[in-house]
Amino acid sequence: MARLAPARYKQLALDYGMIFVLVALGAGFSMATIRVGYPEDGGAARALARQIVADFGSGVPVLLATRDSAEGAGFASAFRERLEAEGGVVLGETQGTPADARRSLEALVHGQTLPQVIAGPQAAGSDVFLSANLAKIHPALAEVPFVHPPGETWPVFLTQGNLLNVATQIVVIALIAIGMTMVIITAGIDLSVGSLIALSACTAAALIHWAAGEGAPADVGLGVVVGACGAAILLCGGIGLFSGVMLTVFQIPAFIVTLAIMLIARGLAYKATGGQALGSLPDSFSWLGHQDVGGIPLSVLLMVLFYAGAYVLMNYSRLGRYIYAVGGNLEAARLSGVPVNRVLVAVYTICGLLAGLGGIVMASELKSGDPKTGQLYELYVIAAVVVGGTSLAGGQGRILGTLIGAFIIGVVRNGMNLTNVKPFNQYIVFGGIILLAVLLEKMKERFVKA
Amino acid sequence: MNRITNWVLSSVLAVGLMGCGGGGEDRGAEGTGDPAPAKVIGYSKMNSNNPFFEVIAENIQAAAKEHNYQVRVVSAEADVAKQMDQIRDFVVSKVDAIVLNPADSEAIGAAIEEANAAGIPVFTCDLECTADGVKIAGHIATDNFQGGRLAGEAMIEALGEGGGEIAILTHDPAASCVKRVAGFDEVINAHNEGRASGKITVVKRLPCDGQRDPGFKATQDIITAHPNLAGLFAINDPGALGALAALEKAGKSDQVKIIGFDGQPDGKQAIKEGKIYADPIQFPDRMGQEIVHMIAQYFAGESFEPVRLIPAELYRQADGQADPSLQ
Repeated sequence: MARLAPARYKQLALDYGMIFVLVALGAGFSMATIRVGYPEDGGAARALARQIVADFGSGVPVLLATRDSAEGAGFASAFRERLEAEGGVVLGETQGTPADARRSLEALVHGQTLPQVIAGPQAAGSDVFLSANLAKIHPALAEVPFVHPPGETWPVFLTQGNLLNVATQIVVIALIAIGMTMVIITAGIDLSVGSLIALSACTAAALIHWAAGEGAPADVGLGVVVGACGAAILLCGGIGLFSGVMLTVFQIPAFIVTLAIMLIARGLAYKATGGQALGSLPDSFSWLGHQDVGGIPLSVLLMVLFYAGAYVLMNYSRLGRYIYAVGGNLEAARLSGVPVNRVLVAVYTICGLLAGLGGIVMASELKSGDPKTGQLYELYVIAAVVVGGTSLAGGQGRILGTLIGAFIIGVVRNGMNLTNVKPFNQYIVFGGIILLAVLLEKMKERFVKA
Repeated sequence: MNRITNWVLSSVLAVGLMGCGGGGEDRGAEGTGDPAPAKVIGYSKMNSNNPFFEVIAENIQAAAKEHNYQVRVVSAEADVAKQMDQIRDFVVSKVDAIVLNPADSEAIGAAIEEANAAGIPVFTCDLECTADGVKIAGHIATDNFQGGRLAGEAMIEALGEGGGEIAILTHDPAASCVKRVAGFDEVINAHNEGRASGKITVVKRLPCDGQRDPGFKATQDIITAHPNLAGLFAINDPGALGALAALEKAGKSDQVKIIGFDGQPDGKQAIKEGKIYADPIQFPDRMGQEIVHMIAQYFAGESFEPVRLIPAELYRQADGQADPSLQ
């Protein structure tokens, strides 16, 4: 057993080696995004309140300024509670734009109660609080400072909000990449998924508008929303099934069949909405893209669930074994009794269904069905699969590798936005990273086999 | 061993990546005297292939320097889902203000709502957001209706007392282009009212997608059906240049007077050479500058008009000949 262990590690590294690339990218972007950030949580608010009373004495009159956001409201209530407990006085509270802050100050001046300190999170600081501008409101305000919690140095990339952001951003690509992994393992390709995203989104939106009839589409019931989404996903599954039949029964190459479907589905998406994005959808439609459970977005949970299911399917089910067999050697699979055609039709149908689901997730995020969405997504999805270690020659690939591939793509996109890479350079960096990642995989394969 | 190879290679990858990152931005540690670090503006532009938006981006950056703001520019490539991701990235990295050209007037609403919920002001430029329930702190665009009226006046001037048959190349998915045609129609209708002869008749309206190739094909179809065409109004320069190519191919470029819109360098060059009669021109440079001034007014808590329309100006051959930006 002891002699087997290194081989097992080798196999693991071979299967999931890309995780090291992901970690390296994460580390690189973390270093590149180390900045001074300013906390806006309750703890920081309480510390600030204590500090103000310590510096300015008990009974200090304070104007509390926050932005109009959930974080701002949390900051305000924590600050007020602590300041009053310490003996300070909140003279006024302003939650909103700099113009609102100015009006609050003017109201205080009018009431002849001047604050001694203006306090709030750093984000609420604005030019209104510069001493020259304060002096214009009232000369006595010139000396009044704006105080905020001190900055903390931390990589923006590694904040919880950003990591969840990356996960949310890859959901659509990652979901479809499950189906694409299966397709590519059978040595096929599906170019239609980007258009199916748009078709699914537009079909669901159009069905909701149609069901609403004369009434407002925003008021339709949950049943209609679920029905419309289900119908849209089934439509995409049906189109996937059609592709599968075309390429098995009529022996048309998958590249050509799905290229044709890509054009047809895009055209149908435009027809479904008349070329425009269809909005004014009910709130229940946007749950999937905007709600979270315990801080984790619903769409991310959905993705995790589907990957768990796909992992089981690919590793422990008969269909999973058949998919590998068909891709490894189609003729050998046929001779050993694998129902090759049915397996192929099944994987294209699954891919279509998942593209439909991806379209629903995207439409839910955008709260509208837009026929222009999903362009070039087929390439992002294929890139995620290939970066994840699946061979375009078929027969080889790991579903969790694809998830890592999707994360690599998401991290690169997000990281480039955070580090201010110029739009033109983003293409170059993105393409370069795909190439390097695949190159790395090839080199490692050679190394391990040697 | 292979793990070591991995680490070496991936470190190379990561370092190379950061080289491209340029590290141009630093939110600035707390200075000793000045308590406020430089404000950061995130700009998500429409796409990378229209120089119009690049001019806006350059002018935003130039104007931002005066106010000591930092600017991050990303491009949505007309993909609203990509633009939403970019806005989310702006929100998590806590920029102070967001400027965008909505990739879709309706579908971008959900992303703007997220920025609203984080208390970050959103400014739109050139194109507007029409979704319900979003808060837009400010909007700057060309006065497209007035520009359309100018185009109508230029057409009347170009055709003279004779009048004649004209065609319009439209692009209805863009609300801005619809307004241009509405302004154009108003002037032409007023001109025709009570006139017995010399009327200007719109014989055909075809979409040109605001691009050269569809403009070229649409114009070929129009002159086949209406050989006596005297004038053509295209809602932007790419459309007008496509029309010009079709008319030149058919040998009718002298017969048909073209009015474009925008004032892009190619369009201005064609006006200078007398191939396009005139353009109501837009001022993307001023859009970029004024949006930054609007942001400065916002931060200073000053009151300002939240919608600012910049009038278009008519640009004729004489302007082209005097234009130092053209050879």
